[in-house]
Amino acid sequence: MVTFSLNGREVEVDVDPETPLLWVLRDHLQLTGTRFGCGMGLCGACTVHLDGAAIRSCSTPLAMAAGRSVTTIEGLGGNHPLQHAWVEHNVPQCGYCQSGQIMSAAALLAANPQPDEESIRQAMSGNLCRCGTYHKVQQAILSAAAVAHWQPAAEDAS
Amino acid sequence: MSLTRRQFIRNVSVAGGALTLGFQLTGCSGKPLQLGSDADFQPNAFLRIEPDGTVILQIPKAEMGQGVITGMFTLVAEELEVHPSRIDYAMAPVHSAFGDPEMRLQITGGSASIRVYHEILRQVGASARETLVAAAMQQSGLDRASLEARDGRVRSADGNVDLSYAELVPVARALAVVSDVALKPADQWRWIGRYDQRVDAVAKTDGSARFGMDASPEGCLTAVLLRCPWFDGAVESFEAAEALALPGVVAVFATDFGVAVVAEGYWPARQAAGKVRVNFTPPGGGLRDSAAISAALEAALDGEDFASVRDDPATAAAEQGARVSARYAVPFLAHAAMEPLNATCRLTADGCEVWVGSQAPDLARDVASRVLGVPREAVVIHNQFLGGGFGRRAAADNVAEVVAIARELKQPVKLVWSREDDMRHDWYRPAMAGAIEARVHPDGRVSHWQHRIAGPSINQQVLPVMMGAMLPQWVPGGPRQWVGDFVGKKDFASVEGSKELPYAFDGVSVSYRNVPVPIPLGYWRSVGHSHNAFVVESFVDELAHAAGMDPLTFRRQHLPESSRQRRVLDAVAKAANWGNVPAGRFQGIAVHDSFHSCVAEVVEVSRVDGKVRLEHVYCAIDCGQVINPDIVKDQMIGGIVFALSAALHGEITLKDGAVEQSNYHDYPLLRQTDTPPMTVVLVESSAPPTGVGEPGTPPAAPALANALFAATGERQRRLPLRLG
Ligand code: FES
Ligand code: FES
Repeated sequence: MVTFSLNGREVEVDVDPETPLLWVLRDHLQLTGTRFGCGMGLCGACTVHLDGAAIRSCSTPLAMAAGRSVTTIEGLGGNHPLQHAWVEHNVPQCGYCQSGQIMSAAALLAANPQPDEESIRQAMSGNLCRCGTYHKVQQAILSAAAVAHWQPAAEDAS
Repeated sequence: MSLTRRQFIRNVSVAGGALTLGFQLTGCSGKPLQLGSDADFQPNAFLRIEPDGTVILQIPKAEMGQGVITGMFTLVAEELEVHPSRIDYAMAPVHSAFGDPEMRLQITGGSASIRVYHEILRQVGASARETLVAAAMQQSGLDRASLEARDGRVRSADGNVDLSYAELVPVARALAVVSDVALKPADQWRWIGRYDQRVDAVAKTDGSARFGMDASPEGCLTAVLLRCPWFDGAVESFEAAEALALPGVVAVFATDFGVAVVAEGYWPARQAAGKVRVNFTPPGGGLRDSAAISAALEAALDGEDFASVRDDPATAAAEQGARVSARYAVPFLAHAAMEPLNATCRLTADGCEVWVGSQAPDLARDVASRVLGVPREAVVIHNQFLGGGFGRRAAADNVAEVVAIARELKQPVKLVWSREDDMRHDWYRPAMAGAIEARVHPDGRVSHWQHRIAGPSINQQVLPVMMGAMLPQWVPGGPRQWVGDFVGKKDFASVEGSKELPYAFDGVSVSYRNVPVPIPLGYWRSVGHSHNAFVVESFVDELAHAAGMDPLTFRRQHLPESSRQRRVLDAVAKAANWGNVPAGRFQGIAVHDSFHSCVAEVVEVSRVDGKVRLEHVYCAIDCGQVINPDIVKDQMIGGIVFALSAALHGEITLKDGAVEQSNYHDYPLLRQTDTPPMTVVLVESSAPPTGVGEPGTPPAAPALANALFAATGERQRRLPLRLG
């Protein structure tokens, strides 16, 4: 049994603790918003937050999450300023990489609420997008960062 | 192109009597199309309005990021007079009503969706609107001129009549559908060319969008498949005792496609697969290594037996000009869409259901029915969002595999490919070689253009499979393969983008030689254009330099005055400030027609201490009437990122018949940090809309190669390119 906090709720799972968190989320907890892209930490499609930091859930064993707090795209709630900016800028094309993009961006803004273009590029370079939405990702992060009333801590308040 | 009423009926299969027949829309299969309920207003196969006013459009094409749902909503909304965001979509089931009007198959490809459907969908909206207005006329006793449809309501000018579409549904469904409706003139459009949202954006930002990977019917197990690393092997024997002892493992068995390992979830299945030892039948002979394939393509260029696909004789005497010649080569490429292939199958009493993100659901249905040995009608395909397609998801190998596994397992099962499976078992963009020459005359004229192309034919392999879904199933494979072999001799997919050379050169000949390889081939974003544009537009640049002329001036000189090519070249040159770059900056240009659109691109690079860097890409497109400007720009940029990933990094190599690359570390894509700023110009046009999904891709590689030549003086004729 491994216990951790998932999107603000305590969960307990009876899964081999070596199982990557990605598959616990997708196969056992039916949270399919977190995507499988490469399984090797190369693409960022599986990005979630562990105690607020962006991690690759495909390469993070469940054991690492024990007693800690995990946030997935579903946990952002749909009202996160980044999600609004994503819709306003029509960022997604196929959409498959976008959960990971948004989770990486959310961790970036939490650590650095006013990033410049270069720090956005650096922070987002681990997230591949085969559809080539990189410019839109950048624009959306810049415009979400400009939303004055946004509190970085809001994400974990639920 | 405008449709006559008869064509319209044939193409849309609009049952004129749909309402009276209770919408018994019968296709070639003889199976009626049943969507929604009898209480709905269903003027045709595409549209229905439910009694609560919900408008649902059947989407006959795959949504793989190209924005087809948004585009189709916009076209219907414009005539139906409801806001595009008020429409709901359903992925159309497999039915002849939803076959592509040109390709027959229900397939998404050739950047064709909006081009072939724009007029049909506007008719769909207009005829529904007029039928609703007719219902309001009946209801109110007013004539047509006194009523106006707008924002989902029919109103009279004096406001005495004000009926919502929902209120009109019960009346409208009993009326004959009004057809032959004149479409709105462009100056009355509210959304075509203006609507700038994506209707699928919310689902794709909150995690709720359902891809094939997310399908999970009750009791669904997960399978992985151990395939033979070389393409002509089969399972000889396997040893699975150790794997079967692992927790969560349900079954390990051989199929025609490899050894299936089934477990309760992906991770235990993948772990167990690592413990299975499989012996495959040994590889056959033939071309099994990249070096051998390259040598064979080179040798083919020196040989005879080329099939001519264009031969315009020259009038000038050849010896007058200076002969310029060069050879080019491009590698195999993988699609590498972000969502690895997958498919889910549940057996039913008489057949099966399949959940998959497919560019060709009727092909998927045909393949599934053959594997299961049931009629096509016993297979139901639930098409999902595609996590990238790029041509890969027009194949249904994943569907054949999952149905074979489900048949054996007799339980719902999801087959998940690893990234490594996806990279090593793709249907690859073929490696190609080209020999090209021309004569440049002292006045800049060009004559005796001769382009010979050697490489494997995609259609020789793929057409027989596609035809399987188009023909009755009793037609055996032999004749289908015969057609494939025949088409392969002059494969249009191998010569497209070379054959249609737009320049007014004196004497153009293009020929092709099919060099079969034992490697699966498929359509890769822009198909033949992806390599022919590189060869043609690089070589045109070589000719410009041989003539001592500026590459833009040289191109313009050989293009007709009022041509689309000139217009996009001028537009991109203006945006890029062509010819006026600061010191240390260098530009390359290319123009290319594909999928009825015309695109020109300029790549700008810098060179510092011998290191070349991408600085900016400029693009201009003429795609006729733009439906959604933002989506067109995104498709251009996405197509360019896709092309530059290939031009700088893309290369699939083979050793002993197996693909050497496995994941994104050895098949890299452009990342956020590698992608330069881009500017896209939409050239205004009121011509009917043409393709946008693919046309951005072809000009990028040659524009980059031409920029590298400008920066370094070295002509690179082999992809991928080196930056300094
Ligand atoms: S799936 Fe985890 S980084 Fe690619
Ligand atoms: S939107 Fe398709 S991979 Fe990013």
